[in-house]
Amino acid sequence: MTGPARREITLSVNGERRSLTVAPRKLLSDALREDLILTGTHVGCEHGVCGACTVLIDGRPARSCLAFAVQMEGHEITTIEKVAEGGEFSPLQQALHDHHALQCGFCTAGIIMTFQAFLAEVPDPTEDEVRDVLSGNLCRCTGYQPIVAAILSAARVMRGEGQA
Amino acid sequence: MSGDTLFTQIGRALPRKEDRRLLLGKGRFLDDIVLPGALHVCFVRAPLAHARIVGIDSAEAQALPGVIGVFTGADLARWTTKLRLEPAIEGLHPVQMTALPIDKVRFQGDPVACVVATDRYVAEDAAELVVVDFEPLDAVASFEKALEPGAPLVDDSLPSNLVSHQTFAAGDVAARRDEAFSIVEARFGLHRHTHAPLETRGCLADWDAGREHLTFHIGTQAPHPLRSQLAARLKLAESQVTVVSPDIGGAFGQKIALYREELCVAALSRHLGRPVRWREDRLENLTSASHARESVCRTRVSVAADGRILGLELWLTEDFGAYCFYPANYMARVVAMILTGPYRIADYAFDVQVALTNKCGNGPMRAPMAITSWVMDGTIDAIAARLGLDPVEVRRRNTIRVADLPYTMPTGEVLEDVTPLETLEAAVAAIDVPGFRARQAEGREQGRYLGLGLCTVVESTTYGSKFYKAAGIPGSGHEAAWVRIEPSGAVNASVGLMGSGQGYESPLSQAVAEGLGVTAEAVRLQMGNTDVAPYGMGSRGGRGATAGGGTLYLCAQKAQAHVLRLAAHVLNLNDATGLRLREARVERLLDGDWQPTSLTLADLARTAYLDPTALPAGMAPGLDFSLTYDPPPMTYSNATHACEVELTPATGELRIRRYLVAEDCGTVLNPIVVRGQQQGAVAMGLSGALFEEVVYDADGQNLSATLGDYMIATATEMPEIEILALHTPSRRTPAGIKGMAEGGIMGAIGALSNAVNDALAPFGVVADQMPLSPQRLRDLLRGATSKNAGKVPPK
Ligand code: FES
Ligand code: FES
Repeated sequence: MTGPARREITLSVNGERRSLTVAPRKLLSDALREDLILTGTHVGCEHGVCGACTVLIDGRPARSCLAFAVQMEGHEITTIEKVAEGGEFSPLQQALHDHHALQCGFCTAGIIMTFQAFLAEVPDPTEDEVRDVLSGNLCRCTGYQPIVAAILSAARVMRGEGQA
Repeated sequence: MSGDTLFTQIGRALPRKEDRRLLLGKGRFLDDIVLPGALHVCFVRAPLAHARIVGIDSAEAQALPGVIGVFTGADLARWTTKLRLEPAIEGLHPVQMTALPIDKVRFQGDPVACVVATDRYVAEDAAELVVVDFEPLDAVASFEKALEPGAPLVDDSLPSNLVSHQTFAAGDVAARRDEAFSIVEARFGLHRHTHAPLETRGCLADWDAGREHLTFHIGTQAPHPLRSQLAARLKLAESQVTVVSPDIGGAFGQKIALYREELCVAALSRHLGRPVRWREDRLENLTSASHARESVCRTRVSVAADGRILGLELWLTEDFGAYCFYPANYMARVVAMILTGPYRIADYAFDVQVALTNKCGNGPMRAPMAITSWVMDGTIDAIAARLGLDPVEVRRRNTIRVADLPYTMPTGEVLEDVTPLETLEAAVAAIDVPGFRARQAEGREQGRYLGLGLCTVVESTTYGSKFYKAAGIPGSGHEAAWVRIEPSGAVNASVGLMGSGQGYESPLSQAVAEGLGVTAEAVRLQMGNTDVAPYGMGSRGGRGATAGGGTLYLCAQKAQAHVLRLAAHVLNLNDATGLRLREARVERLLDGDWQPTSLTLADLARTAYLDPTALPAGMAPGLDFSLTYDPPPMTYSNATHACEVELTPATGELRIRRYLVAEDCGTVLNPIVVRGQQQGAVAMGLSGALFEEVVYDADGQNLSATLGDYMIATATEMPEIEILALHTPSRRTPAGIKGMAEGGIMGAIGALSNAVNDALAPFGVVADQMPLSPQRLRDLLRGATSKNAGKVPPK
């Protein structure tokens, strides 16, 4: 039942090479949180629905509860800890703060990771597009309205159109 | 409002202090706390809704490498006492439960044994190897089945499954029926919900065998009441237990009670002498944590020809599930107590029955009285429909006016400083009822079905001790705070609340800052640790602002008065008249003008702590203040919700086209945080009314055990929520605060349902059961004929 033996793997996380020894069945979310002490990635369901565990794998948002750590060798993983370079908020983090777009904050990292990637790809989204992409992340606290407003505002800032 | 111009800190749109850490991924939630050597727990849970436990064989599980032990109800019974709920309330049966079931399980998901292992993965493997021999019993999975003669007993110690039954009558409802122009009846069925906070339950127990002291890390809304229970059930003194709450990923009422799993974890840490932790998975959270709301209300109302209500009768039944972590009358009773809400009704009677069933136990979920406003305003709409009157007019005729205040409800509850007519008129004007009716008529011609729903909410926010007493619910409503100015002038403050995401740190800092005379940025709140915080009743209902903020405000005022007495002495004045503290500097009133002095709070703090001989005679050293406060029996805020929907009869699809709330919640500590609570509550109410549903089959099997089945609304389904702020202060509370946070749910359920029924009106059908899913609306409409557009095609 305990499965095959633990294995040493090397992962590339937030631009650093990190070695860890994990069982093959260890989830990426657990490996990030427990072995690499990157606890900003949250786990809300462990079955791929809530989106709280979203990280970037090779720049694309993915649910870290649906991947095994051992599958991640050779891939570049980015977590919430990498978003604020030098402790400075990204425009998206700043907009989320300005729009009161978080309450308990448990969903927030997953939302930030999803939209760091999305806004890089779609710099000028419509509200419907934002809501559509956001529907992959559950938030039990806010009703989404301020999150949508924050994302649209961050997109404007990132396009160089100022706050508004 | 006239008062708020006097405030400099209260009412500021101060950004949330919590945001920085949460946005950076540096929040500290339970699972982020690492204790070396901690063991992991996994519970073995019942696959059947009702069964005798014949035997438990854990040999194979114990043999698994990494497993420390497997513990059963009999083991836990040696280390813990039973929970007994035996308040002396008429019609409420006393109940008790052990840490884990010993003889039988009462719902699918009931914990039967507890595996402890070095790793969570191994603990889960081992739990699957535990073999429990069950003898199946017949299950009761509905209120009706529970009360059938000869129904199997959920709790063998009770005479029947009717665990609570209470009645009440004021005035003479029978006489009102006799003189009525018409008698209107209506039904309201609210389905089973669960809280589903994004962070599930969990805890980390750390027994210090040397000091014989337990440190219990747990996200809890009510740290001190939890400590009291935990200590008592472990047979420890309250001085041997420290409860520490880290950041919490949502709670909504699910993180108040001491649950059995948590008690087991604490007992096992003590037994094994090692830290033990538990993280609930989502399946457990949806099936075994706590459920809520499943109830049916029927009303019968006697009315005059003009729609005036003469008398009202309520029959309420609640399906409570298998276990009582709260007295079984707790939620239903409040609904019955405050039902009449914004309306002038003197003759009122209720009958409230609560039954045990083989389902997960109920608890308070954000707006335990969620159904109330739907029942009352839905009844109003039923009156309007029957008498052919305008629903807005029927509301106007019955709504309490300023001249009626203070208004004593038939249950004895007193409304003061509420403005239901004002919020009604504001909502009616903002949604443009005549304009809507024109669009609705035009739409119907084209086969488009629009509906408009209104719902006025009188939200019970802060429960004072006197309310609990009057309602026959055990509990205290007091709150406690301390404010300390440290020798450097730094300001610390604490209160018995613990936030679970609301964003307490800024608004509560503002309450302290206002009372003391500093800026809110300079105040640091210390919450969640029972060794640091004073004994308060925690966060529940809408009490955070009035009980928590109010107590802190009063305590900070006491601190300012003391500081100014010291300032007067230092300035060689007779007394503190004409002195105040502003932004941590003493100011003096000279010729009608406030002038800064050279004295700062830091100067006075240094004197108070480090130069006590310089203090005036009789003044003790230090700047350390505490205060407790019991709010009025109840504070109420009020709101009117307006919702416009479009229904597609062929598919049952519902779209919310517009949603607005006109709200009066008194003095607002921080408008950012209040708006977040208003929008969040409405969204949670809509999500529950439209999508969420805990489903059990007839055998008591839970069919909604993933977030794919228990559906929480996503961003594509939630509307923009417009808020009209109509705040007027309360004259009875510190700073005029009224509180809020749950009324959004009450109003959303009612406004949405009233809107749907307005849209359904041409078909002659009434939706009286939630959730208003496309399937349910389709079922209602199948074969129904619209007066305008012909028959809806049968599927
Ligand atoms: S934890 Fe991965 S999607 Fe919910
Ligand atoms: S802020 Fe709590 S779940 Fe989104």
